[in-house]
Amino acid sequence: MPIKQIGIDIPKVDANNKVRGVAQFGADLSVSSPLHLKVVRSTKHHAKVIKIKTEEASRVKGVERIFTAQDIPGKHLVGTITKDQPVLVSDRVRYVGDPLAIVAAQTIEAAEEAVKKVEILYEDLPSVHTPEEALKPHAPLIHDHGNLLIEFQVVKGDVVAGFKEAEVIVEELYETTWVDHAYMEPDAGIGFMDEEGRVTVVCPSQNVHYDQKEVAGVLSLPLEKVRIIQCATGGGFGGRLDITVQCLLALATYHLKRPVRIVYSREEVFDVISKRHPLTIRYKSGAKKDGRLTAIEVEILGDTGAYASYGATVGIRSAVHATGPYQVPNIKVRSRMAYTNNPWSGAMRGFGVPQIAFAHESQMDLLAKAIQMDPIDFRLKNALTIGSETATGQSLMASVGIGESLRRVKTWRDQLISVSCDSPRPHLRRGIGIGSMWYGIGNTGIANPSTAQIEILPNGEVRLLTGVADIGQGSDTVLLQMASEALGVPIQEIKLIRADTAFTTDAGATSASRQTYISGNAVLQAIRHLKQEILREAASFLQEDEADLFVEDGEVRHRKKRCISLPIREIAKRTQKRFKGEGSYDPETRKLDPQTGQGAPYATYAFATHLAEVEVDTETGKVKVIRVVACHDVGKAIHPQNIVGQIIGGVAMGVGFALMEEYIPGETTSFVNYLIPTSKDVPEVIPILVEDREPSGPFGAKGVGEPALIPSAPAILNAIADAIGERIYHLPANLERVLEAVKKSKRGGKTWQPC
Amino acid sequence: MTYCVDMILPFDYQTPKTLKEACRLLGEAKGKAKVIAGGTDLVIRLRNEEEKPDLLVDVTCLEELKGIEESDGTLSIGATVTHSEISDSSIVKRYGSVLAKAASQIGSPQIRNLGTIGGNIINASPAADTLPALMVLNAVGRVVSSESEREVPVRQLLESPYKSALKPDELLVRIQFKKLSQDTCCSFHRLARREAMAIARMSLALLFRMRDGNISDFRFSPGAVLPVPDRLEEVETFLEGRSPEEDLLRAAACKVSEAIVKRSGIRPSTSYKAPVIEALFLRAMREAMQQCQSNK
Repeated sequence: MPIKQIGIDIPKVDANNKVRGVAQFGADLSVSSPLHLKVVRSTKHHAKVIKIKTEEASRVKGVERIFTAQDIPGKHLVGTITKDQPVLVSDRVRYVGDPLAIVAAQTIEAAEEAVKKVEILYEDLPSVHTPEEALKPHAPLIHDHGNLLIEFQVVKGDVVAGFKEAEVIVEELYETTWVDHAYMEPDAGIGFMDEEGRVTVVCPSQNVHYDQKEVAGVLSLPLEKVRIIQCATGGGFGGRLDITVQCLLALATYHLKRPVRIVYSREEVFDVISKRHPLTIRYKSGAKKDGRLTAIEVEILGDTGAYASYGATVGIRSAVHATGPYQVPNIKVRSRMAYTNNPWSGAMRGFGVPQIAFAHESQMDLLAKAIQMDPIDFRLKNALTIGSETATGQSLMASVGIGESLRRVKTWRDQLISVSCDSPRPHLRRGIGIGSMWYGIGNTGIANPSTAQIEILPNGEVRLLTGVADIGQGSDTVLLQMASEALGVPIQEIKLIRADTAFTTDAGATSASRQTYISGNAVLQAIRHLKQEILREAASFLQEDEADLFVEDGEVRHRKKRCISLPIREIAKRTQKRFKGEGSYDPETRKLDPQTGQGAPYATYAFATHLAEVEVDTETGKVKVIRVVACHDVGKAIHPQNIVGQIIGGVAMGVGFALMEEYIPGETTSFVNYLIPTSKDVPEVIPILVEDREPSGPFGAKGVGEPALIPSAPAILNAIADAIGERIYHLPANLERVLEAVKKSKRGGKTWQPC
Repeated sequence: MTYCVDMILPFDYQTPKTLKEACRLLGEAKGKAKVIAGGTDLVIRLRNEEEKPDLLVDVTCLEELKGIEESDGTLSIGATVTHSEISDSSIVKRYGSVLAKAASQIGSPQIRNLGTIGGNIINASPAADTLPALMVLNAVGRVVSSESEREVPVRQLLESPYKSALKPDELLVRIQFKKLSQDTCCSFHRLARREAMAIARMSLALLFRMRDGNISDFRFSPGAVLPVPDRLEEVETFLEGRSPEEDLLRAAACKVSEAIVKRSGIRPSTSYKAPVIEALFLRAMREAMQQCQSNK
């Protein structure tokens, strides 16, 4: 059957409403005469809460009610993995921004005034602000179970022997900092009781079914009494995997039984939403002079801040990916995440892999230089291939496109080197750098199923039901393309119902680059089941042998009698029956051994290589990224243009991570002092798609959401090192750090001294 | 801690049609009024409650504050002229190109379309982009109140960081400077952490003429390195009347960082800013000298 809907650039199905301004984002949602919610937040890093005095605030005209932790009927703590984060704090605040009370008022003004009048009596506790301090024996405890959230190891082979065998060894310390998701839409939403008496929350989200479970737990309600609907979502990047406004809206709705509304300011988003984990990475690696890697030893320490959130995931994922996309026989990686009284770190595009990739790709360039080998040839020599064994002892059976991505980028690199010459202005130096990555699709070594349904109603309507949250990345379009292809019904004729817990079932989170692969497979299985049901019905309806019938191009056809062909929707209409196919998919993984980290954590991996060309102003430290060539092995591109969009967005985010983004607790307030790249800072991006088919993927597809970002910063940092002859080990490579590196470089400028 | 979304403390808003009325409103408010034109700085300060005026006086309808005029060797720019108007103006480009260049690099197109030169001066940010340019142009502000009218050099319009020297009842009406002669060479440089919409990390404006191979009427003002923008007379005197040899320029660059350290003290940022302002100074000098060459 010819492929018609896969690999083509149809208009994204959400685009029309978004460009016309019709799509409703969180703050656009209207609900009749809502009460406005505002949150009272901690001004202390770490303190006992002695008393929350709300009397005066309650008297503010227009205030209907002030909620504190005492008003929570169910569980007080939420969290994706470790439930340690209070919906409202009753006993102890752990960071500046912890929520203590919610004011519900007739107007926003009244709510804001009341917030100022809520008085909190604290008793200060000593606070801890670095993971190193937090792990010292007598450090103040941030949680009763201790300040170490997780310690995880990946151990394989014999590193002592590996380093003995090595002819060159490179050991360096890499540091990264807090990064904000900087999603375009500040968090906002509404709550109301729906017509069936469910506590209903509509807001941006990356996982409505997780939200539903948390809200039900907090309200002590059965799941079916809670409904979460995802509205149009202005980005996520991991920041909307955790609970943001859901429980606040739900708690107020539960008590007030009337509509409520909340809108965060940008400042509030910066203060209270998770950040990318700052990681300190000590990385030692060894190689033979022939270019073979012999061993790595890596020590990762992360600051998870006040609450666990995805700290464990970042700890484990960064360790599992520590080798980069290379074969290393001897490995010892230890990863630890510590609580501090800093803002809480959570999920952000890549879960620790962007940080570790900065380290492993810097190491690869340093080793290549040490053994005087071309950096791309050195990577190719060690690149994973089919049959390779990964750091966790997993054998890769198919779809390992790292080698191809390196070869494609090499062609570009060789062209650029032959034409590029240093600028006539001597203070400008050009450099070229390479960054590669691998990324396991889906959650790490644990079940992460998705489910989906496809229905044909008696009136012939075709409906695809999925819990997948499209946060702009394109899952609505891609899942519809797959459904259309598999069922043979045009996309426009399939109604998509998604991310509403009242109608859809759990698809898991829009994270870990998993929805195309996992939910795509769930949709395909649902369609297979639907077809079986239709054929069974068609057989009895047409009085033909079921085995002779098959579905093609949206019609039931007969293998021998060519005159028999009946549109599947006709069958529903004529029989006045409703057909439904259920689908589910959970990638095949093998749990990681808790001692050695050995196992098969992912069913498939994405691979990519970026090349960055930069120009460094050696007198000011200003770096201009001129061009990024971004080559991605995506298995199969379901919607190539959408992938290109992901890649360009990933590069933009990578430029920010590499050069300017840095959240400084207590200093950063908004986009005035948190700089992300503007259109003038984003380089020309040349996307290259490699399609090394993944046999278990839907139509061969894997995922690209996070991979798009990961190799950019490493490539840019390697390009800076190439330009100035000195390396930067601390992100971001801002003006000051670049100038400092120039000073250190033998090729670079002079050291400034007072005249 | 409160996070305000769209709440700004209440205030009255007046849009006077005449300068007289504007002055009367400001006088009557006795310091409780703020003047608003583009609002690109003020609205942020209102939202952050750094300013809590009872009254905003919108001056964008006052004819006296509009337009760019040229007369008798003087260029006069209304206080509500926007950065876009300045950077697009052929007269400013011809007779005060250093200002046109500075205005063209402010913020983003949206900000340049709203923000005004008067606002940029009166906001008195140490990093204001037009101030170094206005300083080297010897620009003078015409300041009016119900009682008086005076002409004030731009430097004297500034009191301290983010505080102008205007009295509460005074209004900046126009900014004037002598047209630069066509043999003037000038340069403006700006460095920021990204290519648009970022506060200047450092900037500088300079201009001079060449007289018999020597630097003449040299004027220099750095931005974002002094608490209050100013000219650096030490450097100006040092270069005045001398031939711009490479060694001399390097010595002058040293004088620049020296003068800045002397005025601002050694700060955590000094180890970065000192060598970079030297480099930017040299670049600006070389660029201006090239202009001199082509003027010939």
